[in-house]
Amino acid sequence: MDKHIEFEHIVKTFPGQKALDDVSFSIRKGEIHAIIGENGAGKSTLLNILHGVFPATSGEIKIAGKAVKFSSIADAINFGIVKVHQEIVSIPEMTVAENLFMGKEPGRFGIVDKQKMNKDTEELLKRLKCDIRPTDKMGDLSTGQKQMISIAKALEVNASIISFDEPTSSLSDKEVETLFGIIEDLKNKGITILYISHKMNEIFRMCDRSTVLRDGKFIKTIEMDKTTRDEVIQAMVGRDISLFAKRTMPCQKKGDAPVLQVEGLCGERFRDISFDLYPGEILGFFGLVGAGRTEVMRAIFGADSYGKGTVRLKGQEIHCKSPYDAIERGIALISENRKEEGVLPNFDNMDNIALASLKKYMSGMVINNGKKIKNAKDKGSQVGLKPNDPSFMTVSLSGGNAQKVILARWMSTDAYVMIFDEPTKGIDIGAKADIYLLMEKMAAAGLGIIMVSSELTEVMGMSDRILVMSDGAITGDLSKSEFSEENILNYTVEESVS
Amino acid sequence: MNAIYKKYRREWSTLIALFITIILFSVLEHSYLSATNIATIVTQSVTYGLMGIGMTCVIITGGIDLSVGSSLALLACVGAQLAKAGMPIPVWIVVCLALGFLMGVVNGVLVGVMGLQPFIATMGTMQVFRGIAYIITGGFPVLNVPREYRNVFNFKITSVITFSVVVFFIFAIIITFVLKKMRIGTYAYAIGGNEDAARLSGVRVKRTKALLYGIGMLGTTLAALIMIGRLGTGDPSTGQGYEMDAIAAAAIGGTSMAGGRGNIFGTVIGAVLFSALKVGLVVMGVDTFYQYIVTGIVIVIAAYIEIVQGNMLSKQKEKSK
Repeated sequence: MDKHIEFEHIVKTFPGQKALDDVSFSIRKGEIHAIIGENGAGKSTLLNILHGVFPATSGEIKIAGKAVKFSSIADAINFGIVKVHQEIVSIPEMTVAENLFMGKEPGRFGIVDKQKMNKDTEELLKRLKCDIRPTDKMGDLSTGQKQMISIAKALEVNASIISFDEPTSSLSDKEVETLFGIIEDLKNKGITILYISHKMNEIFRMCDRSTVLRDGKFIKTIEMDKTTRDEVIQAMVGRDISLFAKRTMPCQKKGDAPVLQVEGLCGERFRDISFDLYPGEILGFFGLVGAGRTEVMRAIFGADSYGKGTVRLKGQEIHCKSPYDAIERGIALISENRKEEGVLPNFDNMDNIALASLKKYMSGMVINNGKKIKNAKDKGSQVGLKPNDPSFMTVSLSGGNAQKVILARWMSTDAYVMIFDEPTKGIDIGAKADIYLLMEKMAAAGLGIIMVSSELTEVMGMSDRILVMSDGAITGDLSKSEFSEENILNYTVEESVS
Repeated sequence: MNAIYKKYRREWSTLIALFITIILFSVLEHSYLSATNIATIVTQSVTYGLMGIGMTCVIITGGIDLSVGSSLALLACVGAQLAKAGMPIPVWIVVCLALGFLMGVVNGVLVGVMGLQPFIATMGTMQVFRGIAYIITGGFPVLNVPREYRNVFNFKITSVITFSVVVFFIFAIIITFVLKKMRIGTYAYAIGGNEDAARLSGVRVKRTKALLYGIGMLGTTLAALIMIGRLGTGDPSTGQGYEMDAIAAAAIGGTSMAGGRGNIFGTVIGAVLFSALKVGLVVMGVDTFYQYIVTGIVIVIAAYIEIVQGNMLSKQKEKSK
């Protein structure tokens, strides 16, 4: 069969990180080809290179046998390579037709031929079998409809390669069916389709083959009709699945007096949240994205306000109005958005580590740099930071090391309740193992630990107890003996998106 | 030594630019380094410098203070009136500084607590402060400030240099100390670098911002008191456009307008460079209209150097991997 797209020895390095490492594989003409892997495996990077967002550090891409190099997104689009965006960039005040033909409006002398534009749009939309009118305002469309417009845009430029990045994540069941119909149609017209998704059943249903990436490396390309779900997952997670996210120590729970008690907490995105956290315990919080877990943690930490409910720390009622309050009382929150809410880009490791505990390094009114450096070195070696150099700029570190800097920051505060929100998001496997071990050590030291995670293997491997949240409420409370993939997923009843 | 060079990489290039400017002008025009001209450069540097230092404090948090020009006028008028009313000199200084601090805090509260855009908030107070200055003076300059008040910051220590230079340096050192050695300084850089991350790390963003706008305004207050000393008047129409000069001093000195980066050393050199350039153009007999163009170009070049150096730095980092 002819190869439509060939990736040859693609390497992409970012400062401090190798995102793609010698990736070579090919995609056949007219197939639906999935690219799968865990977060941070390099899927988006690969797609971005194909679509001209940024160039590869080395290696080349061949389309229909010819080497190509795109210097911009527009360049790739002109070549017929289009990405269907989940959230398409559009001007909500303009009509569907105007958005579709933006920058290439038909007409002469700068006067737009609106009739032709609307007619062409109507034809495109008819091909997609959707009931959107060209004169509808973009802002009035649903997410699913907007995605249709994005596909229409791809058809309009006669794309030969279309990629979909998590296309179903914000669609209703009915919209998903329509989308799948369209994708099948596109395939029948000979268009090559790249499909990125986390959802196994979609991949098995839609795709002919899938290529697995792991830690920036090509693992294998699998024929979907000759494989099993387990085999795919095995390839994604890697052989060390059994070693990974596994406790090295038994439960360290100390005593029967909870360190943190939450009762009937209600907020904008969650309601009636009650749970106890014991010293030495690792309490997992599982749920789908948007279930409200992060919001609960932010409320406890004082980052957001909450309405009703009480929070008790070591038996004493508290109500943190700001993160400052929470830190003073001994609560720490390691945010899931390391870049946006963690790392200070203008600070070196020493200052990034010291930020939340600056009071500790004072000699009178003056910050004592010696104390700060000593703390940075001590905590840096505890978390296994490489290089453990206090004057190294944190932004230049890899994801895993930057996360260790953030951990060091919070360990410096001497908090006794540590809340980890997706602590291993986007970091490499080695650093993950380090962070798991650190969490265990903290638990062994008597800290109460909450771990919010969307990774089943992680939450099952690390937790002493799991609470499941769905749609803003706690729907399940599982003790260690009840842990199973099925049990946990049963509690995450997905609400239907309209 | 190498470490110091690395830390102040940007400032060294400003310093070199300053030397080149001075050498260039003195070659082109031998009278450039005359006592009068040096005195003018020093006097202007003190004003730009004091206001620039204040501006730097604010810009580091990611903000801007457009009200400093009007504040200079209001503080000069109030200062002159209080002096004429015969307030004891130590009290006079303290009251003026307190008033300046308070005016800055007003800006800081608008920005930090009420969440207004710094540009808009301080554009508002810029009008308000100017208006108050006109109202309390009836629109006329406050004349004939008594000699003993004028001498506080302006007695001559050499034939060309007044005590105001010492005030300028002491203020620069104090603010450097505040920014580099005190908690509030670290918090200021943290807020400018990433406000969300700073807040989630326990930085009390509102109060830090309010305080820094206040501290920043102390520079303008000192500039106002020195101006009273130099001219013996408080003029409600003075200081128009000075906010731009203050921003220019900070920008030339390498303060990033995005916040989180910059230091007082750079701003001080930036202020001196800016006045050396302005005086040089006057001495050379360059037409006023062309002076605007030249100073404008210098500011743009300074900003561009910032970008180029930033790019070079990140490339070096990539290579060292």
